[in-house]
Amino acid sequence: MPGWNWTEDRGREVFLEQGMYGKMTKYLIGGIKRGLGLHRPGRSLIILPDDVFLVSFPKSGNTWTRFLVANLIYPEQPATFANIHRLIPDPSSTSKRDFNRMPRPRIIKSHECFDPRYRRVIYIVRDPRDVVLSQYHYHRKLMKIGDESPIEAFATRFLAGETCPHGSWGQNVVTWLGTSEKDPHFLLLRYEDMVADTARELAKIVRFLGISASPEQIVHAVERSSVGRMRKLEEAQTDQCELTKGSRKDLSFVRAAGSGGWRSELPAPLAGRIEAAWGPLMRHLGYELSSQSPSEAREVESLGILSSTPQ
Amino acid sequence: MLAQFKYAVKYALGIDRAGKHFAVFPDDTFLVSYPKSGNTWVRFLLANLLYPDETVGFANINRLLPAPGVSSKRFLRKLPRPRILKSHEPFDVRFRKVIYLVRDPRDVAISEYHFDLKKGYIEPGVSLEQFVDRFIAGETSGYGSWWEHAASWIAARHGNSAFLVVRYEDLLADSVGETGKIAEFLGIQAGLERLQTAVERSSADRMRKLEKQQADQWTGTKNTRKDIPFVRAATSGGWKETLSLRSAEAIEVAWAPLLNFLGYELLSRQQQSASMPAWVKTGQPL
Repeated sequence: MPGWNWTEDRGREVFLEQGMYGKMTKYLIGGIKRGLGLHRPGRSLIILPDDVFLVSFPKSGNTWTRFLVANLIYPEQPATFANIHRLIPDPSSTSKRDFNRMPRPRIIKSHECFDPRYRRVIYIVRDPRDVVLSQYHYHRKLMKIGDESPIEAFATRFLAGETCPHGSWGQNVVTWLGTSEKDPHFLLLRYEDMVADTARELAKIVRFLGISASPEQIVHAVERSSVGRMRKLEEAQTDQCELTKGSRKDLSFVRAAGSGGWRSELPAPLAGRIEAAWGPLMRHLGYELSSQSPSEAREVESLGILSSTPQ
Repeated sequence: MLAQFKYAVKYALGIDRAGKHFAVFPDDTFLVSYPKSGNTWVRFLLANLLYPDETVGFANINRLLPAPGVSSKRFLRKLPRPRILKSHEPFDVRFRKVIYLVRDPRDVAISEYHFDLKKGYIEPGVSLEQFVDRFIAGETSGYGSWWEHAASWIAARHGNSAFLVVRYEDLLADSVGETGKIAEFLGIQAGLERLQTAVERSSADRMRKLEKQQADQWTGTKNTRKDIPFVRAATSGGWKETLSLRSAEAIEVAWAPLLNFLGYELLSRQQQSASMPAWVKTGQPL
């Protein structure tokens, strides 16, 4: 597998060529952790019927949404990078014991492709032309690639789904939309809409969760999850969070936090390649293609963003 | 607590069931299908093709063409590579090379109904019509609904050279030809004679006989009702006689675009024009 250890990020069994004693020690430690519930359950997480999953392809606003939801439902405990993995847990970085101690219904973060065991899903989608930029910067921060590594090479691997273990952007999105778009237990949100009117989109989540929140409570949660506040928290807690631990300090996790950055930052040929690969899906999501003809653009408008059904 | 301790010991020894939680290698091939779509038959076909010197049966199929759902991690790790593994999982991005076996869901529903009665998953009093409603809702299987399963794979992989779609119905109509296609996909050099032998050794009659002898030696049939066989009709189109019009229509209304895409004939003329939207068929952008 080019440059990716599948098991590393998903809490799956790691199979390394490390000699018999190394392997035995690893399994013994793994066994003890399992006995105490300290292991990260990963894909073996026992899913409960009332669990809600916050799903997205990586670098699509998942952490921001976790902050928004956590700040809304736990107002007495402001969300930070140090506690977010307990408030809105992640099967690949939260221990099984923490999962078992959570109040129900649990709201759980995930980057997985379609999983039928997830009965209630909030899916966040973001323009892949912005996602590729965000992931490129994040991989530099994590030192998976060096500064000299060009965005062109990264984009090639991004298109092939080789930059993360959750499929390509197109695969991740289409396995969810193609199976679940009409399901009443599936809520699709666009990152761009969340940036444009955060309170309105958070109110959609409130309705979907079936909880009650006053407009003031929603505004309060939005303010507590602002880019400025998240940047400050990141600076203070960078080593207390799985997402940023041990990464470069000169690059930040909370970066542009905007939409449409690709228009100035992404070389036009790369935007073209992404549109060529996923054009119909992007148009279905209301992402305007730079390469589409004016007549096609009108057709998209007449369909209305997100109102067209697959059948 | 005791269960957790048992799991811990099993994990340390590597004998815990793999399930979804096992190391996938890039050179693995997966034989994937929704349950009750002919997966066991194709396992027999492939095992007979790959191991002409073995007598393939229910007693050894889990060894010859293993299923992570019922095998231990250690067993899977020690298999010679490249491995061919059976799976009922909906889309899994780790599975790089996939034979996707698909069957008309109207027949799948009937087959699953009988299988669930055999296993005792449903009460004997549940009617087929009641079952079909739950089947459409995806409540009869841990692998999602038939639509979710097929749509997840086809949406993510259709058009990719490492993804082969095989229809159960085509396999029935031309077993040798379709087995040949699968062999080619797997890179197995097999002449007509070898293909024919594999098909004969995997015939429904032969599998029925083997089931009678070995039902207690296989995970799929152990401790199940003996009066309902695992190898049942082994035909296609049974739904036309068996399903009520209401059930057949309900399936068509729910899943027409995918049924049309896969070439399954619909009763309702109105549904015949329903097509999969262009954005679903992404394939692999390579």
